[in-house]
Amino acid sequence: MSTGEGMAGMAMTLLEAAKSRVAALGADLAQAPAELHSMLAAASGALYTGAGVRAATYLLILLIVGAGVEWLYWTYAHGPLRALESAPVSSPRHALRVALRRLALLGTGLVLFTFATLAASAAFVWPRGMHEAVVALTLFVLVVRFAWIGVSVVLAPGRAAWRLVPVAQEKAGWLAATLMGAAVALALARFAPNLVEPAAPHGAAMLRLAFATLATALLLVAAFAFIEGPVPSGATGAKRRLPKFPASIVAAAIVLTVFALWLLRSGTAATVAGIVGGVILVQMALRDLVFFFWQDMIDAEAAEAADPPAVDASDPTLLPSIALSTARFLVVLVGLAACALQLNAPLAGMAASGNPLVRLGLDMLGVAALALFTHLVWIVIRTTIDHRLKRIGPYDPHGEANPNARLLTLLPLLRTSAAVLLVVTLALSSLWALGIEITPLLAGAGVVGLAVGFGAQALVRDVIAGIFFLAEDVFRVGEYIESGSTTKGTVERITLRTVALRHHNGPLYFVPYGSLGSVRNNSRDWVIEKFNIPLPIGVDSEKIRKMIKKIGIEMLSDPEVGHMMRMPLKSKLARVDPGVKIFRCKFQTAPGNQFDVRAQAFKRIEAALRAEGINFADGATVVVQPAGAAPG
Amino acid sequence: MRANMAIRSLRLVTGMVLMAFVAGHLANLSIGLVSLSAMENWLSTLMAPWQTPIGRVLLAGSALVHAALGLYAMAMRRTLAMAKTDYVQLALGILTPPLLLSHVMLTAVAGELASGYEVSYGFLLAVYWSLAPSYAFQQLLVVLFVWVHAALGLYSWLVLKPVWRRIGGFVLPILFAVPIVALLGFAEAGKEVLERLATDAEWRATVLQNSARVGPVRARIDALQSTLLAAYCGLVLLALAVFAGRILRDRLTRVRVDYDAGLAASGRRGLSILELSRLGGVPHADVCSGRGRCGTCRVHVTGGAGSLSPRNTIEDTTLARVHADAGDRLACQARVFGPGVAVVRALPPYADASAARQPGDWADTAPETATPPAGSPA
Repeated sequence: MSTGEGMAGMAMTLLEAAKSRVAALGADLAQAPAELHSMLAAASGALYTGAGVRAATYLLILLIVGAGVEWLYWTYAHGPLRALESAPVSSPRHALRVALRRLALLGTGLVLFTFATLAASAAFVWPRGMHEAVVALTLFVLVVRFAWIGVSVVLAPGRAAWRLVPVAQEKAGWLAATLMGAAVALALARFAPNLVEPAAPHGAAMLRLAFATLATALLLVAAFAFIEGPVPSGATGAKRRLPKFPASIVAAAIVLTVFALWLLRSGTAATVAGIVGGVILVQMALRDLVFFFWQDMIDAEAAEAADPPAVDASDPTLLPSIALSTARFLVVLVGLAACALQLNAPLAGMAASGNPLVRLGLDMLGVAALALFTHLVWIVIRTTIDHRLKRIGPYDPHGEANPNARLLTLLPLLRTSAAVLLVVTLALSSLWALGIEITPLLAGAGVVGLAVGFGAQALVRDVIAGIFFLAEDVFRVGEYIESGSTTKGTVERITLRTVALRHHNGPLYFVPYGSLGSVRNNSRDWVIEKFNIPLPIGVDSEKIRKMIKKIGIEMLSDPEVGHMMRMPLKSKLARVDPGVKIFRCKFQTAPGNQFDVRAQAFKRIEAALRAEGINFADGATVVVQPAGAAPG
Repeated sequence: MRANMAIRSLRLVTGMVLMAFVAGHLANLSIGLVSLSAMENWLSTLMAPWQTPIGRVLLAGSALVHAALGLYAMAMRRTLAMAKTDYVQLALGILTPPLLLSHVMLTAVAGELASGYEVSYGFLLAVYWSLAPSYAFQQLLVVLFVWVHAALGLYSWLVLKPVWRRIGGFVLPILFAVPIVALLGFAEAGKEVLERLATDAEWRATVLQNSARVGPVRARIDALQSTLLAAYCGLVLLALAVFAGRILRDRLTRVRVDYDAGLAASGRRGLSILELSRLGGVPHADVCSGRGRCGTCRVHVTGGAGSLSPRNTIEDTTLARVHADAGDRLACQARVFGPGVAVVRALPPYADASAARQPGDWADTAPETATPPAGSPA
């Protein structure tokens, strides 16, 4: 109940304050014209006197001094600027470097102009009130020219290649003009009313209102006319985007909120709201802004995705991802600092402050920095691993044994381990940063670890053995292995502790690495298959050898088995038994294909033998009885 | 074709005559830093050459010729794509005569018409600082305008000369110092005049009396002034109309220039190659901003040479001075009349005035290296 009443009361107070503010503004507006009129009359009267002439003379001298210093600077800087502007820009990152150099060159000229003008203005004895006006005018020129440099460096209306933000060419010029208009209006709202304030306070309020409204209107125009969703690039344009809340509405709402706060409350509240709104807007657009600088590389990667993947290419999204995270953190940090400055918070005294709330806030900032750092490391690991995995492609159990199958096994393992490690480290470091004593925790973990370690000796042995099996590339997913014991089969899955082997009859063996022992890998490089052909003793050995050699050469060009063979089928007479000549045949194939090839070889040999009229040696033993020797 | 050369020289010479007069005038003003009487004393010395009949004729003739040539050049312009300094010079040049008119009326014409009217620094400063301060603003502006216009012209001519290496170090500061010191002298003398007006009643009476002598002829002076002003405005409008008419006449036929490094620009028929470069945003060296003096804009013509206007005297002279190859043209003088032309820029776009002073130093910048490699230090 009481909370509700309190809130109602607060709302009423706020409304009352706003009401009185509006009333005051109305009074200002009502009195301003007459006031400004009389002030202008007085001012023009003062202008057409000796003092006015003197002020004008000095002002012209200031102009010449400022322009002269800047001209001198440009006699040196013009060549470098021309060289910079005439060089072709190869990528958005190059454009950023060009923009920074242009900013430095143009900005130095402006700074020199401002300093020279201000310093020279101090040398004169001005008529009363004129010096303030001259300083305000100089600062106004400074702000407007700086705004122009900023707009021309970032938007580069004339040259699309220099642009640092994703804005279409036909819109860039108008956006630049609108932003410049808003900058001029804001500068006028800042500097002009101060000059008329002593003579016409109501008039100053009216001027402020007028210029601020103009700036708000221009910014609204910019928000609605020029903020757009990211332009779908040609390579990935077909993908449908999920509907998103339009950024232009957010921008317009922020601009209007700031304006309303300024109108009804105070300048400080409006500035803070403006900073917060700016941070929100930048965060919304930051992904597009940052990725824009690497867009050419990402597009190139997408374009070549159809080609056979080059495994060594690094991920083009790695750098922008890191830059994005850093930029997000920095934007928030800058926003916080700006708010603190605006609210006159004593930044220097904060670190030594005993206030627990302030301390907690600072500690939280530290934790946030730690989290950012951990996040950066995580991004590096994750994007690298994911990109590598994507390039290797999914595991296909029916295809050829993939040379990268080991990576397919190891990388996800590595990713998970890294994640666990990072989270644990972050948790401990955060506790440390927050001032929570973690020594007992570590000691406890150590004791527990010792106990568990003894208990899980076998487990540890398995894990460590597994790491070495994988590191030494003993087997990969999809390979047929036999271990020292009776287990054999195709490697189906590799986990932290065991390897799963599918026996050719179906059963799945789970073998811990520790008990794997020596491993016979049947799927590496090549196999040699040998088999015997028994033929009757009467055949011509040389003829058979040539026949089988011919078959071997024919098999090389066979569409079914030819590509599997490394070396053709050959034979030689191996043994002569009573009544039987045994020919030993051999061939070399890629692992796992020997059975198909062997069947094909038998088929061809048999057909060839039949064509020659030769039978395989039959089991019947022919007993030849010498003449004259009667049985019995 | 010699006419162009003669016009250019005449414009330069008359401009220098006028600048000499203005410089003397401003030097006299700066003596106000010493005292008002010193200003009066030096007047006869510094302005002596212009008081003689020859000096008068020379000054008046130069002013008329220079203004006429300026208007003629404006009418003959082919495009608004010109260098920033040219814009400044053109605008200041157009604005100067009307602003200067009242000063000339007050000093030269009123003296002829009104009897007993005497022009002195004391009187004029009294008018500007006390009697009619609105005139003072015009005069302040005109000092700035005339001097900037003249200094730009002198600088852009002198910087191309080999002698600039020796004299540039002190000519440039002088160009800036002259108006500053003159304005300071004007302000100091003004203070003295105001003080004297307040304390010296007799002098004040003299000034008022002198000022009253203009009264009877005031109407005639005003009429004359407005007639001259109207005539001048008419001339400016005429020049602008001629300029606009020439643009409209040629607007339909398009021509195209292909550059090295795959760049291209297109525009109206009859524009020079340099003007087409500016319109198309092609970086192109132009130290003298298209007056045909520096030779930095020269190009090797690799195709369509028949589309270009024949060489004129200015081009021949400059190309000979920079020892250009036989097939070279000055981009600022060669106008494109045919459908298209292919060129290679002979100098990198960042070539500066030293390329005009010592053409040999830049001879080795071959067209292949006309644009620096990406990421080269700025």
